[in-house]
Amino acid sequence: MAQESHKWGMVIDIDRCTGCNACVIACQSENNIPINLEAHFNQRRAIQWIRIERYWEGEFPNVKARFIPIICQHCGNAPCEPVCPVYATYHNNEGLNVQVYNRCVGTRFCANGCPYHVRFFNFWEPEWPESLKNQLNPDVTVRSRGIMEKCTFCVQRIRRATRLADRDSVELEDGDRALNPACVNSCATNGLIFGDWNDPDSQINQIKNKEMQEGGRAFGLLENLGTSPNVIYLKQVDESAEGHHGH
Amino acid sequence: MLPGDFEFKRLKPSKKQMVLLSIAGFFGLLVFSGIVIVLTFVLTAWMNGQPIIFANEGPEQPIVFPHKKHVEELGMDCTFCHRGVDKEAAAHVPTTGLCMTCHSAVGDGLDGITKMRSLYEDDRSIHWIRVHRVPDHVHFVHEAHIRYFSEKEGVEASAVCSKCHGDVANMEEVHGTEDGRVKQVEPLKMGHCVDCHKQHNAPTDCATCHY
Repeated sequence: MAQESHKWGMVIDIDRCTGCNACVIACQSENNIPINLEAHFNQRRAIQWIRIERYWEGEFPNVKARFIPIICQHCGNAPCEPVCPVYATYHNNEGLNVQVYNRCVGTRFCANGCPYHVRFFNFWEPEWPESLKNQLNPDVTVRSRGIMEKCTFCVQRIRRATRLADRDSVELEDGDRALNPACVNSCATNGLIFGDWNDPDSQINQIKNKEMQEGGRAFGLLENLGTSPNVIYLKQVDESAEGHHGH
Repeated sequence: MLPGDFEFKRLKPSKKQMVLLSIAGFFGLLVFSGIVIVLTFVLTAWMNGQPIIFANEGPEQPIVFPHKKHVEELGMDCTFCHRGVDKEAAAHVPTTGLCMTCHSAVGDGLDGITKMRSLYEDDRSIHWIRVHRVPDHVHFVHEAHIRYFSEKEGVEASAVCSKCHGDVANMEEVHGTEDGRVKQVEPLKMGHCVDCHKQHNAPTDCATCHY
């Protein structure tokens, strides 16, 4: 990774997703996300920077569970950015869609603009049980009531990894666990892969080059909306589907 | 006087009413000027980043710690006690254990030393009062700043510290008090950070510090 500027991105292989929710928990603890109670879910106000959407397919007994992890797509052409009246969300030069907590005034326009439903509003002051207060991550701001929050691609980990690489005069390593977001590190099946689109040799670029070809599995979530996401998905390989002869 | 017009009866307050009115007016004026004075102090304090109203002495600490003695007279470097400063994000306030590397042998009979030793023996820490603090949504990393100035500009580590923390070693003289309290001399507001970042071509992207 020799290039000066980065463009962080991710590949999510749906075929590898088992729906175990480890990424959700990892994100929750890495990013100081308050505990979501049942009532919060019922009010549609639960905060999950990464969530596993589950779909049932088919009739019993031939029913199939389909999972798709959804995070902020860090869109190159993000619908959330131009609507912010205070410039609290913008695209930085590393391809990240940044949410500046101290600028946000909580208009929630951005959440209305986002087609992926990955922006969350703090309807309450965040609370943790007494026993969990000492596990808060000091590198991440605890968001107070009245502001938006969203996936940051664990920018605190990126900052730390780049700083340490700079200190030791080494180059950032593709797939370094210190650089990867918490969800990527926690994925048991390596279904999430993080990397730099500007690095031609990065794992995500290799996958993209392979899967973008005719018959490849790559697609962008809701890409017909023109959001040009920085996250690409790989389709599930369905063994029972017609025309599939198995491996 | 046209027909249909009417003349207001001229109100003339009685003497008693006059007294009451003047008293009410006086107190009203007092309250108003009080608010103006308080607001002026609060606003100027906010703009300069100084503690509100005359209180820029620095807080009183549980132990009188003479920085001057350690730095000026004994020639110790900031990094000797604040060990994290060139390694990590936090500069670290030394533990009593670190104090004891020297003070198990030196400083007998001094009040502060006695207090520190008894805390050390009880496995307790000194509850220093924090002087420099940036808000929670700011992630300041000491290591990167020390490294930049010492590697790129050849400034000595302790000289880098004084860019933001002032001349801590000589703070007691400034006050003329004996208990050299450390005080905040720079505003440490975002403008202060951004000015310096611009001067040195450091990144000014929001997500450099705010995340």
